[in-house]
Amino acid sequence: MAKRSLSEQLNQLVDALLAHPAAPTAPRAEAQTAALARIAADLRGLPREKFKAQLKAELGRRKSMASKPVPVAEPVPAQTAIPYLCFKDASAAIEFYKKVFGATEVMRLTEPSGKIGHAEIRIGNSRIMMSDEYAEYGALSPESLGGSAVKMNLSVADVDAVVKQAVAADARIVRPVEDQFYGERSGQIADPFGYTWIVSTTKETVSAAEMQRRMDAMFQQPEKQPKQGVDPASKGLFTLTPYLVVQDAPALVEFLKKVFPAEERFRSIGSAGGNHIDVRVGDSALMIGGGGGGVAWRGENQPMAFHVYVEDTDAAYKRALEAGGVSIGAPADQPYGERSASVKDAFGNYWYIATSEGETYQPKDTPTVQPYLHPLRAEPVISFLKRAFGAEELARHASADGVVQHAKVKIGDGRLEMGEAHGNYQPMPSMFYLRVPDVDAVYKRAIQAGGTSIWEPAGQPYGDRVGGVKDPFGNQWYIATLIKDASA
Amino acid sequence: MDKVDEERLLVEAAKKDPCRFAELYERHFALVYAYAARRLGNRTEAQDVTSEAFHQALSNIGNFEWRGVPFGAWLIRIAANALSDHWRHAAREQGNPAPDNPGHGDVSPEEIEQRAQLFRMVDRLPAVQRRVIQMRFAEEKSIREIAQVLRKTEGAVKQLQFRALDNLRALTSQKRKPGKNTGEANG
Repeated sequence: MAKRSLSEQLNQLVDALLAHPAAPTAPRAEAQTAALARIAADLRGLPREKFKAQLKAELGRRKSMASKPVPVAEPVPAQTAIPYLCFKDASAAIEFYKKVFGATEVMRLTEPSGKIGHAEIRIGNSRIMMSDEYAEYGALSPESLGGSAVKMNLSVADVDAVVKQAVAADARIVRPVEDQFYGERSGQIADPFGYTWIVSTTKETVSAAEMQRRMDAMFQQPEKQPKQGVDPASKGLFTLTPYLVVQDAPALVEFLKKVFPAEERFRSIGSAGGNHIDVRVGDSALMIGGGGGGVAWRGENQPMAFHVYVEDTDAAYKRALEAGGVSIGAPADQPYGERSASVKDAFGNYWYIATSEGETYQPKDTPTVQPYLHPLRAEPVISFLKRAFGAEELARHASADGVVQHAKVKIGDGRLEMGEAHGNYQPMPSMFYLRVPDVDAVYKRAIQAGGTSIWEPAGQPYGDRVGGVKDPFGNQWYIATLIKDASA
Repeated sequence: MDKVDEERLLVEAAKKDPCRFAELYERHFALVYAYAARRLGNRTEAQDVTSEAFHQALSNIGNFEWRGVPFGAWLIRIAANALSDHWRHAAREQGNPAPDNPGHGDVSPEEIEQRAQLFRMVDRLPAVQRRVIQMRFAEEKSIREIAQVLRKTEGAVKQLQFRALDNLRALTSQKRKPGKNTGEANG
């Protein structure tokens, strides 16, 4: 009987399959029985009906306890609206919130890959839900989106202590802690994952009507600050400020702090999702922008060169190498009366560290930091600066064959140096913030002198009216006039 | 009402009344078990992980948010979590570092769904064929033992086994053809 022999054959295959539970399929199955053997192989994982029924009964018995779920052990007060946050690394975020805000983890669902599909934490009486990124479901983190429009308001018993703790754990201060007119003492921090938290402690109970009264009073106060650009180089700074762009701005700040007496004055996240950090080195300001510290900004380094006066070139050079700098030139006495050394930082910026052998280590009337250009030819650059910005040429040294080895110009009360490109020193298109009394007039002159517009002059939220011009040599000039002190 | 809406209603019902969880359990048991069995290859472990997954799902159903992810995917995520706990636990007991995926390569969701489908089809077999398949594959009984229970000859049991597998092949291949309704078993 053909049928009988087929069922016999198949049974032998089934026996073999059941004897070797790990075997992927039956050995040497003939075509007729092969398909059935494949079904049989898959059936080895068939659940027992008894198990299915038992588990069902077990779950049914639990229904009376279901209001007391297992992982969510403590009763959570009702909360109708719950923030749902998304992270590149939700696990790191949970750790951060535990450490900084005293959060407790309520639950976590993890994929085999370790990706967090869903997690919940509790801070005080509030639940917050979160997950890792799922681009396919449109779940993207602030790091991918370039920022988050939503801020969380966190009420704590001691705002100063919490903010301090947060900063120690790599959060950044967006607005420092201050007493507010609405009765709270609060500040804003950006956590390392791109979310902003308004952290506050209630100091005084203020009615909405009283808040409105105080707010009206604030608006009626006459402005104490100068309104028009009467103070172009406000706060005692030079009119010319270099703007560096690096992939890790906080790291460059750390480098500068290690090498020079440098001091961070201000830090925020700009509209493009990048860092903006103001640093002071001696009497000079540097603006540093770019990525790092978890901000969304991505881009290339735009290295610049600087001539920086220090008290002790040898010591600063040594610190620079210890901080990760690469030597371009070891300390040496120069014929022009300086001892100097050159170092390249991790982002490609050149630092010409120098100590004057004159009366003071920093020559009189010279800023601590002077940007240094390496144009192919100095003459057209100087000519542009004169026509566009009314620059004044202070010095020019050329070799016998006409190569300008060193030139120095004054723009406003700021200084800029240059030496024509040679060897390792090739053009580094640079960026500058230039304060002038009348941005519109200077912008127009810069265009007439051969610059191309980056932006037409426009008011900025930080109180300056700013226009952008690119010179024919690739340098960018952000020309600014103070219109209104943003802190007023 | 489509399948998604129906499932959504079932989830909402189960959130309000845990008694209704039974319906979700019936619908998804095969999927979760197929996943666990495919990843573990050992019946006791597969049962433990399945059990753990459903217990956790019942505890946390109130937290399930409908965001376009099917309920089944949510259950699989919970099962995956239970599975890694299981491996971590097993590794700790043996003093070994937890292997990521011991002995069982990556399993695609399609493969799991196919396997679950096969398990569901067993329930649609004629009663006696279903008993043979259940005893033979789930309870791992020999043909002789099954013959004794069913008071049939061993030859007849082998015939039933053959017909059952042939029916399952027909049912599953029918199911895989798009646009065709699954007919009742005909054997």
